[in-house]
Amino acid sequence: MTINGTDLQIAFCGSAGDGTIAVGDILKQAMAMAGYRVIAFDQYPAEIRGFGKCVSRTRVTGEQVYSMKQQTDILVSLDDSHAIPHASEVRDFGAVIYDNAPMSLMMEGEHISGHLQPGQIPYALPIREISERATGSNRGRNMVALGFVAGLYGLQQDVFHTIIARKFKTKPAAVTKDNTAAFDAGFDLGAGEFLFDEVSIGAPPAKAKHEARMLSGNSAVVEGCLDAGIEAYFGYPITPATTIMERLVTEMPKRGKRALQTEDEISAIAATIGAGYAGVRSATATSGPGLALMAEMLGLSVMAEVPSVIFVSQRGGPSTGMPTKTEQSDLNLAVFGGSGDAQRIVLAPTNVEGCWRCAGKAFEMAERYQTPVIVLLDLYLSNRYETVIVSPDERFEASSSKAMVPAKSGEKYQRFAKTDDGISPRAIPGQAGGIHTVTGLEHNDLGRPSDQANIHMDMSEKRHNKLSKAVDHPGITITKRFGDEGDVEVGILAWGSTFGESLEAMMLARDEGIKCAAMKVVMMSPLPEQPISEFMDSANEVLLPELNYEGQFAGIVSGTLGRPVNRLNMVPGTPMRVDDILNEIRRLAGREAKDAA
Amino acid sequence: MSSAPHLVIIGNGVAGNRAAEILREKDKDCRISIISAGPLLFYNRYELPDVFKGRQDWRDYLENPPEYFSDNNITLRRRSIVADVDTERRKLVLAHREEVGFDQLLVATGGAGYLPERLQETASLTHQFTTYRSAMKMYKALPKGGRVVMLGGDMIGLDLARTLIETGYQVTVVPGDRTFWPHEISAEDRPKYLAALETMGIEVINHGEVERIEDTSGGATARRVVFVSGETVSADVVVTQYGLAPMVDFMSTAGVDIERGLLVNPQLKTTRDEIYAAGDVCQIWEQESNGYRFYYGWRNVRKMGEISARNMMGADVPFETEVDEQLIIKDDGSIDSPFWEYSA
Ligand SMILES: Cc1cc2nc3c(=O)[nH]c(=O)nc-3n(C[C@H](O)[C@H](O)[C@H](O)COP(=O)(O)OP(=O)(O)OC[C@H]3O[C@@H](n4cnc5c(N)ncnc54)[C@H](O)[C@@H]3O)c2cc1C
Repeated sequence: MTINGTDLQIAFCGSAGDGTIAVGDILKQAMAMAGYRVIAFDQYPAEIRGFGKCVSRTRVTGEQVYSMKQQTDILVSLDDSHAIPHASEVRDFGAVIYDNAPMSLMMEGEHISGHLQPGQIPYALPIREISERATGSNRGRNMVALGFVAGLYGLQQDVFHTIIARKFKTKPAAVTKDNTAAFDAGFDLGAGEFLFDEVSIGAPPAKAKHEARMLSGNSAVVEGCLDAGIEAYFGYPITPATTIMERLVTEMPKRGKRALQTEDEISAIAATIGAGYAGVRSATATSGPGLALMAEMLGLSVMAEVPSVIFVSQRGGPSTGMPTKTEQSDLNLAVFGGSGDAQRIVLAPTNVEGCWRCAGKAFEMAERYQTPVIVLLDLYLSNRYETVIVSPDERFEASSSKAMVPAKSGEKYQRFAKTDDGISPRAIPGQAGGIHTVTGLEHNDLGRPSDQANIHMDMSEKRHNKLSKAVDHPGITITKRFGDEGDVEVGILAWGSTFGESLEAMMLARDEGIKCAAMKVVMMSPLPEQPISEFMDSANEVLLPELNYEGQFAGIVSGTLGRPVNRLNMVPGTPMRVDDILNEIRRLAGREAKDAA
Repeated sequence: MSSAPHLVIIGNGVAGNRAAEILREKDKDCRISIISAGPLLFYNRYELPDVFKGRQDWRDYLENPPEYFSDNNITLRRRSIVADVDTERRKLVLAHREEVGFDQLLVATGGAGYLPERLQETASLTHQFTTYRSAMKMYKALPKGGRVVMLGGDMIGLDLARTLIETGYQVTVVPGDRTFWPHEISAEDRPKYLAALETMGIEVINHGEVERIEDTSGGATARRVVFVSGETVSADVVVTQYGLAPMVDFMSTAGVDIERGLLVNPQLKTTRDEIYAAGDVCQIWEQESNGYRFYYGWRNVRKMGEISARNMMGADVPFETEVDEQLIIKDDGSIDSPFWEYSA
C-alpha cells in the first residue's frame, strides 16, 4: 500500500464559505500533478455560504488505494466549532493545525486546542492575521493554512503555484496573485516550523506511462459517456447525480450532441429509450427516488428490447431519505425494479476508473444485448476523487449493434427473431426493409402483440438468455479476486464503493496472519454465478459487507446460489469503516476483535 | 462542565506534573488541567545534552506516554499561553483569546533563559539551550567537532559543555557574573572553579564584556563575538547561558505579590488563598534570612510540586529543602553540583 512510506491523509475542516473544499481541491490536484496517487472525499452541507460544516479529506499514497483512512494524519481547522468533533480522528503523533489568534473572545472549550488528545501534535499559527498581512483580507485564510501544510511537509511549492493559477484562471489576475501570496506566506512559516509529528511523505512514485487525471466518480462517468460517443442525454436533477448532467450539458454541445433537461424522470427515461430506439447512444442519470419513477419505463426498454443506459447514484433512502448521505440500498430496485420478469444488466463500479469503464461499456452492452443497462454508483463514489490513469489506446466500440440483414424478398423482417445467441438483428427506424412493430405488449417474432402462452414463455426465455452472454463481454472486469490464493479462512464478497474499504481490511487482516481474500463483484445482474461460487467454495466463511439495512446483495447471492453468507450491514450515511470490516474478519477467523481506533 | 472543582496548573514542567500526579492521587474526581506554552508532552529537559550523543527523537525524552494523561484524566492543553489571570472572576485568559475558569490555581511556569539587555538585539544570532526544540536547533547549526562559545556559563550551560567536550566539540566559556548560576560563588573562590572548568577541557577566556555578536556566515565560522576590549572570538555557535528569569509577566494584574518571582509562604501559597506557586517561578519565605529566596534544581522543584498539591488539598505542610547547595570540586579536578542531580 505504501510506496516510499507515503500514506498520508489530510483533512481540512471549516464552515461553508471558508474555502475548505477549494483548498482540498488544490491540494489533491497538486499532489496528483506531483506524481502521487490520490483519493479524496469531501462532505459539505446543502446550505448556503456561512452555514454548515465542510470537510475535505485527501489521502495521498504511492500506489492507488480505494478507501479513505479511518484516522487522519493532519487536520487543519478553519473553523473550530466544526473541527472540534473531528479532532479525535487524528492519529497519535499526527498533526492538528489551527488559528491561535481568532477574532473574538471564546468561552472555555470553544477553541480546538482544548480538545486535542495528548498524543496529537498541535501547530498553532495566526492564520487570519497572516492572510490579512499578505493580502489585505482574511479571505486567504484557507490558502495560508494550505501553504503552511505544504511548507511544513516540504511539498513542491511550484506545483501549488501552477494549480492555484489554473484554478483561478477565469478570475481577475489579482485573485491568483492574492491566493498565491497567502499560500506563500503560510508556506514560509511552515517551512520554518519544527516538525514534531510522525507524518512524512516520500518521493512520488516513478512517473506513470500515461497522464494521471483527477476525476470524481461522476466526472469519470461523463468522460466514459463522451469517450463512448454519447449522442443524446436526458435528465432531471437530483443529488448526488446532478453533476453528471451539469457536465454533459456543457460538454456535449461542444461536440455537436444534445443534452436536454426534461420535466421529470419519467420523461427523461422515456426520451432516453426513444433515442435508443432511433439508434443513437443515449443515457439518463438519477438517484434512487428517480429510478423508482423510471421503473415502469424500464420495463418498456426490456420488453421492446431497446438499448438504454441509466446511471444511478444511490443516497440514503427510502423516499427523500438522506439526500447528502451515501448508501447502497437501491440494489434491489436496480436489479428487480419494475413490473414483470424484467431482467436487465446492472454494473456497479468499485472505484473511479471503474466509473469511466462501466459508463463506456454500458453503451456497448445496451446495444449488443438490446437491453437497459444500469450503472449503479453511490454518493461516496460519485463525489470522491481519484487519480485515474487510462491508456489513450483504450477505446470503446463505436457501435455494438447486431445490425439487421435485409430480408429476402417476400420475407418479413423479424425484429424479435429467435437466434442462437438470443439476440435478434436490430433495425433502426427508417432502415429499408426494417419495418416492424414495437410495443410494450408481449409480442411475436414480428413484434405483433400476442398473449399466447407459448409465445410469452419463449420470449421470456429469450430475453433472459441473451443476457447470459454479458458476463463474457470483452474489456470489462465482472469479478476479480484479490489477496490469498487457494483456500482461505475468510473470503469477502463486496460490491460498489464498499469494495475499497473491504480491500484495505482484507490486506490488514493478512498482515495479522489471517488467510484472507476479497472478491469484487462489478456485474450485479446477471449474477456471475460461476466465479462467485468458486470464490465461496474456497472460503471457510464468506463475509458480505454492504451499506444497506437489509443485506440486499447478500439476499441475491444467497437466493441465487442457495448458500449462506455472513452479512455486515449498516446505514450510517457515511462510508463503511475499515475497522468494522476488519473486526468482522477477525471474528469469523476466530481471532479477538480489537477496539476501533 | 462538571461541578467537580477545576484545578488548573500553569506549566508543564517538573513542578506542574508532580503536582498533577499528587492531586489526582488525593482526589479521583476533581478536574485537573495543565496548561502549557510548549507543543510537547512533559519531557526530561535534564537529558537534553544527549541530543549531541545521537538521541534526537523527542519521544525518547518523554516522562510519560501519551496515555498517561488520558488514563489519569488530566487535560493537557499545549501551545496555550496564559496571557492574563482575572482573579476576581477566577478566569485565565489564554493568548488565543479563550477564557478558562479555575477554582484553584497552581503557577509553575518556571523560568526563561535570562538574556542581558545588551545581547537582546542580536538574540537571533545566538542560541539558548532550554527546550528540546532549541537543543535541536543548536545541534543542527553546529558542525561536527565545531566550536561553541558559551556566554555566561550557568550550571545548565556547563552541563551541556561537559557533554559537548565528551562528544568531540570545542567549548569556550566567556565567564560573567552569572557563571555557575544558581550557585553563588565568592570572588575569592571563583578562580579555582574556573580552573576546574579548564581541567574538564573547557576553554575559559577573559576578554571582559561582550560588545556585540556578528554574523559571519559564509566565512569559516558563522559567528564572531566582539568584546568591548576590541578582541574577538570566532564560533560556529554562540549560546547564552545566564541563568533563568522567572516567568511571571502574565501574573502582573492577578493581585498577588511579586518580587522577581511569585512570593509564597512556606506552604507555597501566594498572597491569595486560591493561588499557589511551585518550582523555579516562586520565591519562598525563609524565616532564617527573613526574606524570600529561590530554590532550584530537580529535587527541590519536584518537592515543591508535591507540597503545593498537598496543601491545595487541605494539608498544611511547609517546604523544606533537602539539597546541599555546594558546588564541589572532585578528586579528578572537575566540578560537580547538586543541580546536576536528578533521577529519571
Ligand atoms: C536544558 C535544561 C537543563 C537542566 N538541567 C537540570 C539538571 O540537570 N538538574 C536540575 O536539577 N535542573 C536542571 N535544569 C533546571 C530545571 O529544569 C528547573 O529547575 C526545573 O525544570 C524547573 O521546573 P518548573 O516546573 O518550575 O518549570 P519548567 O520546567 O521551566 O516548566 C515551566 C513550564 O511552564 C510553561 N509556561 C511558562 N509560561 C507559561 C505561560 N504563560 N502559559 C502557559 N505555560 C507557561 C512552560 O511551557 C513549561 O512547560 C535544567 C533546565 C534546563 C532548561
